[in-house]
Amino acid sequence: MHPRYFSIAVVGLLLGLLVGFQVRLLELPEPPLPPHDRGRILTAELRELALERESLSAEVRQMDNKVKTARQGIEQAEFALRAEIEKHMVLAGLTGVAGPGVELILHNVPGVDRPDGFLFTVRDEDLLRVVNELRAAGAEAIAVNDQRMTASSEIRQAGPFINVNLERVSAPYRIQAIGNPDDLVKALEFPGGLAETLRDWGINVVIETRTELVLPAYLGRPRPEYAQPLREGV
Amino acid sequence: MWVSIWLAVIGLAIGFGIGMSIPAFLPPAYAKYLGIAILAALDSVFGGIRAALEEKFDNLVFLSGFAGNALMAALLVFIGDRLGVDIYIAAVVAFGVRLFQNLGIIRRYVVGRKNEAG
Repeated sequence: MHPRYFSIAVVGLLLGLLVGFQVRLLELPEPPLPPHDRGRILTAELRELALERESLSAEVRQMDNKVKTARQGIEQAEFALRAEIEKHMVLAGLTGVAGPGVELILHNVPGVDRPDGFLFTVRDEDLLRVVNELRAAGAEAIAVNDQRMTASSEIRQAGPFINVNLERVSAPYRIQAIGNPDDLVKALEFPGGLAETLRDWGINVVIETRTELVLPAYLGRPRPEYAQPLREGV
Repeated sequence: MWVSIWLAVIGLAIGFGIGMSIPAFLPPAYAKYLGIAILAALDSVFGGIRAALEEKFDNLVFLSGFAGNALMAALLVFIGDRLGVDIYIAAVVAFGVRLFQNLGIIRRYVVGRKNEAG
């Protein structure tokens, strides 16, 4: 061994080592991309995904708004429908109502006990006129002796009694009407008005305004059997 | 003299065996540096053998040449990576040219016609 050339052996050893490394390195499965390019590609991908994400979240917001609007629409429609139903229930007399109004009490003429007494009793016509007058004055709900007036209610003499909603009612007749109390009273009480006429005939008419009246619902609920609503132009 | 060739070959064989078998690994990112280092080492070994054959061998020149060439080549690779220009090709070409020159001279010594031209 020549000690002078020993360094050649050392460098040769190093060379072999490096070659061994390199061979093994190249035997590795090649990485998909060099890190330099990979970074750039990943950055581009990231940017793209961020954009996509942004647009998707914008879409989500839009959809949310749509859902919210739709839900609001449903709520509003439901509310409107309920209000409409309530209104028609009130108008049709299918629900009990409360509110300000007037109360009339018609007492029979004293001396009804006479044989021809029925001539002086309160008759269906009197009640009809009162109800008619109240309706004309804007009464929104009317009841006669707790029988609610509906679109199909009748007031009809039946011997010494009067039938309202097919129920027999008798004196004293109490007519309650919900509406503007002043208007209702004015419609009845004026010189030559209905109240005066009735009093002239000897009927005891008491009219009082009430701040809170409670009218019952109409209990019979007939279904329209023959009448069909017209569909055209609803 | 001749022993330098055998020393180089033996060192190479042992180094290769070690490099192939030890579990340590260089990260793939350094493959380029490794390649350049191999070239530098190859150049140095051939240069050293030639010098030995010419009986002008100097340990200091040999080792400093090896270290300097390897470092310079690594630097070129590094700069080239940063600039996006493959400057290390300059090192590859330089080493390659010298490699063949040295090989040519060694060949003449080996076939025993060192004083003939071409």
